[in-house]
Amino acid sequence: MADVQALSLSREDRLRTVARKAFWRRFRLAFWQVGLVGLAVAIWEIGTRIPFLSKNFNVFDPFFVSRPSAIILRLYDWTFGAKAGFLWPHLEATLIATLIGLVLSVSTGFVVGLLFSQKRELAIVLNPFIVALNSLPRIAFVPLITMIFGLGLASKVVTAWFIVFFLVFFNTFKGGMAIEKELIEFCRTLGANERQITRSVRIPNALGWTFTALPNAVSFSLIGVVIAEFVGSTTGMGYLIITSLATLNSADMFAALTVLSLVGVVLVSLFKLLERRLMRWSPEFREQG
Amino acid sequence: MIELNGIEKIYLSKTRDVHAIGNISTIINEGEFVSIVGPSGCGKSTLLHIIAGFDEPTAGRVKVAGKTVNPGTVPSALGYIFQKDTVLPWRSVRDNISLGLQYRSTPRADIDNKVAALLKLGNLQGFEDTFPHQLSGGMRRRVALLMTLACEPKLLLLDEPFGALDTHTRTLLHKELISIWRQMRQTIILVTHDLDEAVTLSDRIIVLSRPPSRILLDQHVSIPHPRDVFSVRDTPEFAEHFRTIWKVLGQEFRDAQQPADLVGGLH
Repeated sequence: MADVQALSLSREDRLRTVARKAFWRRFRLAFWQVGLVGLAVAIWEIGTRIPFLSKNFNVFDPFFVSRPSAIILRLYDWTFGAKAGFLWPHLEATLIATLIGLVLSVSTGFVVGLLFSQKRELAIVLNPFIVALNSLPRIAFVPLITMIFGLGLASKVVTAWFIVFFLVFFNTFKGGMAIEKELIEFCRTLGANERQITRSVRIPNALGWTFTALPNAVSFSLIGVVIAEFVGSTTGMGYLIITSLATLNSADMFAALTVLSLVGVVLVSLFKLLERRLMRWSPEFREQG
Repeated sequence: MIELNGIEKIYLSKTRDVHAIGNISTIINEGEFVSIVGPSGCGKSTLLHIIAGFDEPTAGRVKVAGKTVNPGTVPSALGYIFQKDTVLPWRSVRDNISLGLQYRSTPRADIDNKVAALLKLGNLQGFEDTFPHQLSGGMRRRVALLMTLACEPKLLLLDEPFGALDTHTRTLLHKELISIWRQMRQTIILVTHDLDEAVTLSDRIIVLSRPPSRILLDQHVSIPHPRDVFSVRDTPEFAEHFRTIWKVLGQEFRDAQQPADLVGGLH
């Protein structure tokens, strides 16, 4: 009995050691991340305050690059300070356009990708056109999109869709093609008809490949929206950036960029979580699941 | 009953046609456990594909339960176990086993009862909600077998199902397969390259020649049932059967070592 107790205690101890090691590992990594940001911010802040650097090098000239303390003050102004609430409508406009663009491009990319992977002849006929469209510098179309769809939400969504669609399409198409023929034959021996095979095998298989494109898709959707806002719009984070550039207000521009990168990090992390949840059956996500 | 009538299979290709199956005719009776052995490339798996309707014979005809097999259509009440993993990775063990019943729109309560019984049969209780990637290779094999058994096949085609498993797991699955067969009495055709496995499990062993293959030996295995998969190897009958078949099969393996070009060049 005593032996058993000793054994179980040591097991507890060992578990604790493992947990402690994991904690310190995470702590160390977080420390490095925070340290790197701190270092960059410090160089930025101090560099722009040393006359020798700021006078001789444009990258340290606060007229061009502002400085962290000024950017933080500006962010405070925009949210709770002098111009309280100024930021929210712009942030909202960008976020809404990003999410609508994402939903539209993921759903259409999935449907078309799956269809192409199943209808071999359709894929062969249309493939050159898809490749041609995909090779075009899509940014070149944004002014045209803005002219057609106007300065509002529509042109942002269309731009985001135009950029993200192909990413999702190609991923789904590849997944749809990669399905093993034994899996389908096996389900046939279980009595499945074509419709049942599509529903129970082809769609879930392709969805897996679509989901793995989600984190990238959300980044590119955000980029698409911001580009559309650059080219022509009256709201949004991209609009803020381009107007502050026009008025030579570097603190405004970097404040907007800071918000944008935070939005990117948050969105991508959220969609990574979503991906992990949806893909918990996949060995790739076993450890975290 | 399965009738193979003059089955021949030639794979056409630009560089060199492969004459896999020469001419195979035989009859497999209901409830028989038949193993097909032969050197690699002799079209063992192709033969199973043809019986299941996955592949079309170049010549000849297959009848399953009196009906001619139509390429592209799987005969009814046929189960097939592949060497590859064929469980659906995004479904739990329970949802995999119930797949065939869902295809048939079986009522929920019946599915639950049947799945519970099958989980017990396959010693997989407690793993209902597990995803396949969390199981061992042997357990995934069992899930695939249970998926098939849920559909109550009268004919079970096994295409080197235990090839990728370690000896221990394989022997345990042999034991389970024998007991399932003795309970349910399906017709089983097992393709294997493992003569030990064939003698342990089957009633009858068909030895195919090198390609283009034909039947070299059709041997009844007279070891009485119930067989114990662990001790059957030590019996004199086992050794006797093994020796008889190996005499033929071993010679084929030896001859198959000739350069492949020479074999193909004969046609």
